[in-house]
Amino acid sequence: SSNEHKLNFKKSKEACLSYIQDALLQKQWKRAAEFLTCYVESLEKDYSREHVGPSEMIWRIGTEILWHHSQNGMKEFSCFMEQMKTLGVKRYLKVCLEHVFHLLCNGQIDEAYQNLSLAESWRFGEQTAIQDKEMKLIQAYRGLLDYYSWSKQKNILLDHGEDGFSDLSVEQEMHGYFRKAAVNLKEIIKIPGVWDLFVKCYVDLLEFYGDHNEAHQVLNEYAYNSKFPANPNAHVYLYQFLKRQGESKKSLISALKILHDIVPSHELMIDFNTMLQKSKKRKKRRLGLEVIFAALDYAGWKENAKAWNCLARQMKQIVISEKYLDWIKQEWNSRKDWWPAFHFSRYLAKRNWQENKSLSYEKALVAGILLGKGCKYFKYVSQQGCKAQLKRFRVLKKFVNRHNPVYLRISG
Amino acid sequence: MEFPAALFPSYFGAGPPQEEGGPAPAAGWGEHGQVLEGGPGRRQVQPAFVPRRGATGEKWEAADGAAVPMLLPSAGCWIPSPAPEDILYRSGLCRKLRAGKSGATLDFARQLGHFFVDHPEDAFGSLGRLLHKNFYLGNSKLKRPARNSAIRMTALVEDINRLEARRGCPRQHLASRLRWFSHLCRDWLFEVPLGLLADCLHEELMQQWSSLLFDDSLTGGALAWLPPEDGGTPMGCLVHPGGQAMNCLYFQDVVLEELPCTRGSPAQFELSGRVQQVAAARVDGQDFVGVRSDYHCGVWRVPGKRGAAPTPLQVIRTDVPASCLTVSPHLPGELSVCTQSGTVYLWSVETGLQHLRHDPQTMFFRDHSPWRWSDFTAHPRVLSCADRTGLQCLDARAPRRCHFDLFKVGEEAGCQQGERVVLPMYLGRAHPSQYLVTTQFSVYVLDERLPLVPVLKWSHMMKAPPLFAHLMPGKPGRSHNVLLGASRTQELLLLQYQDSFGGVSSGGSQSACQLAGTPQKLHSITGCLQHLPTQLPHRHHLLQQRLAAPAAGLAATLQEDGPQKSMLIFQLSEAGDVFCQRLTHKAAHPPAPPSRDEGTTAPGSSPLFEAPASSPQGLGAAALRYRRWLRALSRACTEPPLHTWPPSLSQRRLFTRRDLEGLAGPSSLQRQMRQRLRQTMKERGRIQHWEPLALQPPPLPQTLEPAGGSDPLSARLTAAWAGDWEQWWEERTSFSVARRQQALRERRRRQKRAQGRRSLSASFTSSLTYQSELSELSDTGPSLLSPGHPPILSQEGSPSAGSPPVRGPTTSVVPDEALLSSQSLRCRGIPKERRKTLRDYLSVWAEGPPEPPESPRS
Repeated sequence: SSNEHKLNFKKSKEACLSYIQDALLQKQWKRAAEFLTCYVESLEKDYSREHVGPSEMIWRIGTEILWHHSQNGMKEFSCFMEQMKTLGVKRYLKVCLEHVFHLLCNGQIDEAYQNLSLAESWRFGEQTAIQDKEMKLIQAYRGLLDYYSWSKQKNILLDHGEDGFSDLSVEQEMHGYFRKAAVNLKEIIKIPGVWDLFVKCYVDLLEFYGDHNEAHQVLNEYAYNSKFPANPNAHVYLYQFLKRQGESKKSLISALKILHDIVPSHELMIDFNTMLQKSKKRKKRRLGLEVIFAALDYAGWKENAKAWNCLARQMKQIVISEKYLDWIKQEWNSRKDWWPAFHFSRYLAKRNWQENKSLSYEKALVAGILLGKGCKYFKYVSQQGCKAQLKRFRVLKKFVNRHNPVYLRISG
Repeated sequence: MEFPAALFPSYFGAGPPQEEGGPAPAAGWGEHGQVLEGGPGRRQVQPAFVPRRGATGEKWEAADGAAVPMLLPSAGCWIPSPAPEDILYRSGLCRKLRAGKSGATLDFARQLGHFFVDHPEDAFGSLGRLLHKNFYLGNSKLKRPARNSAIRMTALVEDINRLEARRGCPRQHLASRLRWFSHLCRDWLFEVPLGLLADCLHEELMQQWSSLLFDDSLTGGALAWLPPEDGGTPMGCLVHPGGQAMNCLYFQDVVLEELPCTRGSPAQFELSGRVQQVAAARVDGQDFVGVRSDYHCGVWRVPGKRGAAPTPLQVIRTDVPASCLTVSPHLPGELSVCTQSGTVYLWSVETGLQHLRHDPQTMFFRDHSPWRWSDFTAHPRVLSCADRTGLQCLDARAPRRCHFDLFKVGEEAGCQQGERVVLPMYLGRAHPSQYLVTTQFSVYVLDERLPLVPVLKWSHMMKAPPLFAHLMPGKPGRSHNVLLGASRTQELLLLQYQDSFGGVSSGGSQSACQLAGTPQKLHSITGCLQHLPTQLPHRHHLLQQRLAAPAAGLAATLQEDGPQKSMLIFQLSEAGDVFCQRLTHKAAHPPAPPSRDEGTTAPGSSPLFEAPASSPQGLGAAALRYRRWLRALSRACTEPPLHTWPPSLSQRRLFTRRDLEGLAGPSSLQRQMRQRLRQTMKERGRIQHWEPLALQPPPLPQTLEPAGGSDPLSARLTAAWAGDWEQWWEERTSFSVARRQQALRERRRRQKRAQGRRSLSASFTSSLTYQSELSELSDTGPSLLSPGHPPILSQEGSPSAGSPPVRGPTTSVVPDEALLSSQSLRCRGIPKERRKTLRDYLSVWAEGPPEPPESPRS
């Protein structure tokens, strides 16, 4: 019966697919290709209601095989992609995008641009939500490529400008690229998402033409709109923009404060700490201590000599002045049950000493202040330092011994 | 670690997943996903783009054709866990009914029946004893005075048997007698109220079935590899469970060579539960090993120096089964524990348990699964908590106030409908702030600095959800290797990802996460079957069953030996076997010729058992390993456990030696007959009359009831054919009436006793073990028979029937009916008072002796 026939057909289709899968997962591209030619038959009687139909599978598998096992390279690949585009209306834009990505990764920027323009002009009935998103992406990537052309022209002009020679047509062309790029880039960054690349390019364009207000607004929106994900880069871009603009310390600090609140382990926290330490305000210096303590909580910062240096410097200042010891005490309170094992174990003392002497110096200073002269880390490092006859370790030992009462006040 | 300067573009939505779900067979192929400008050097004529997926990765090739056993199989046979056919209802009718409908029908009635038969004491104990006198189990009609207080059960039993035979018949009428009986005694007959019992059984069945569909208790895997100390000898330690109930924990030292091999005997700990998970982490040069069983979790410390004994540190007990145990990579002796009631604890060996959260509900939307998971993050005081709907991070210092969502099954991560978290894993050894989350469809890499948006996503296309994962961090600038393993299908998938592209040229700086290379399927344990030498069919079946046992754990290690780099992967099966395979790293620069590229491990080729040209001893080390494993396995498994021996019994106490001596050796009659037969055959003649029949000793009553094939009809036909039918008839009728009556009476008594015994003994005969002491009986067995019997002692349904004796002289023989008759006993000189004892004893396992056919006239 026809039902049985359908069932058998389905079964053999599935078997064939599993063979292909098996071959692909074992990198047997040729074998997979042979099976794929059989699988193409399944297009003929496509009864499936699955959301990934045979045509999509053929596109995906064929692409994968051609990436790894192609004699004629790009030409063959493009030919295959053109065929795939016509295979399914629903997937046209997706296939186009993937084709463009492949061209871009292989350095064929012009072909990619052509393909993008072609895809952009494609119309077919009403668009689904996914197609709408894909179309926006296609436009954005075209904008990106326009931006690269613009930046190329700009470089030519700047090079020529130095010679005192200006070409009007090149300049006009450049402005054309700017307009095209700006329109498309502006569109995509309105939609919630991660658009680091597009935002950077758009801001670069705006800054070149002196539209700082618009740039500031774009970056503000990207960083602070709650519909967007909490992307640390958005804050970093804003901070860098403000820095470029020579904004006041206050606005820089407030930008970094927000970054600190969402990502206390961001690498900019060192800059933030130095900025705060220089401040005359007590509150800011206090925040600086908080920031560096918080950063050193994270496993990724464990061996960051710069950060330990920041902490050691600030703590030394506090200990010498004997003011604000309660700052340290408060920070230490929530950490004293686990920092000793996390940072100041004997094992780490040995390893740090072997691997990075200056790191172990800074850490030993912090350990000596926080845990007193009896601390394992401090003892080991100062002993080794004295043994190696390094002057600064002797000074360190003296310093800690002199200020040992501080430890009692902190831990008390 | 720096945050990447730019991330791959992606949309960000909120809310439940939009994309329609379902496993998609090829969804992971042929996609770059997105591209990002990020080539080496910015000031170039043309921007260089890198794809999110499709960058070139490292090339790994399998060194052998199959995975190789690491350890010898443990003694004692493995008992496979129940298969679907054990608990599902099977019948043609049912299949028809179910056609079109999804869902399985559990065979509830059969399981309940099993319970009644296997545990009669628990099911009917007290009432059974009370009513013992009122249930009559004989065949005959009840006499008047007895009928007032007893009912005859035989008819009921027959009805039940008939019902069983008609199972699945659409026109199945319940016998009214059965209905009447069940109606009468359903409320009081059972020790445990039937409703309650049925509820419990049904619940258990449902649980068994759901764990057959997806068993999440194994999440994380029960295998751990403790790597060698830096710069020390290449000797690591493999921590794995073993024993018949998987309740022993072994710490086995392993030397990494061409094929890793064990060194010394393992440190062994016997635990009070099945080991479900073994987790390990190295802190300050010491390994901490956490072990989870259902109600207990324990932690061991293993010093970094190999060969030193592991020390157990602490054990905790939970009221609800624990579903997760992870070991902190930051602080020594810290672990996190989750239970199925939704409680998360931070467990420190020094300070004890700290309760972090209790929430029986799932986090982001409602899901019925009680599974919970928890792991550590880049901050030693911040733990991640997971259920099937997503992950949250919470600060142990203020768990109520400080938390954020790390991953949500929803539009934020571009999930599919029906997608659920299967295994989260902290990738701290590769990158301090990265996380791996696997679902049944995809793998995600998350960065806790950018929560909710996965920095990498790929559909893994595995047939079963990946329950195990293992990370092998690469050197800075190199790609990291992640292994995913599934349990039921034993799939193993090798993925590579990198978080800095451009390699050395761009200084290996931090950039967006990329999937590198193509995913690679590795050997599964069961895949070695095709390479093994041909086995006897039943051996093959056993082996197949053993090798196809679901995987229970995964561990791996990278081994760098000068320029040569290799990867060793260990896989544990539920049967307790540990298999190992080696991948060798191929330098990327010389493009290998296509012929070599393809099919070095194509199915069908079996390089395992072919002698490699390079190896001097003729066979590869892998093949030798297999030989040894197979031998040990067959030794462990062909020795059947005691209780499967056919029952045998000693007759030393029943017969004295003298009793038996008189009957030893073939009788003179037999000798005579044989000689005649031989002679006739030599002469090619035929025997028309068995003349010496007259010499026969007085016929035993068994001649009337021939065992086995010779029924009265065929005997009569044989006689007719031989031409002495008249004589045969004469013989039958000329039996003295008195003797026959006696024989009948005897038989009835015997039947009664056998019936009574049978009902009681049916369920415990299998558990009784009779050591084989029947050697003498079996040696002299044939001589006990009268010449009229076929010279094979057989009884239908007895386990020894039809199978050739495998154990030589000690083969036990089921006693023939002949042994029971009083004539035979008397003629052996057994005193009358001992005859009854003997009969009782023998009838215990003369279960279901063939009913002696009624004589034609009665």
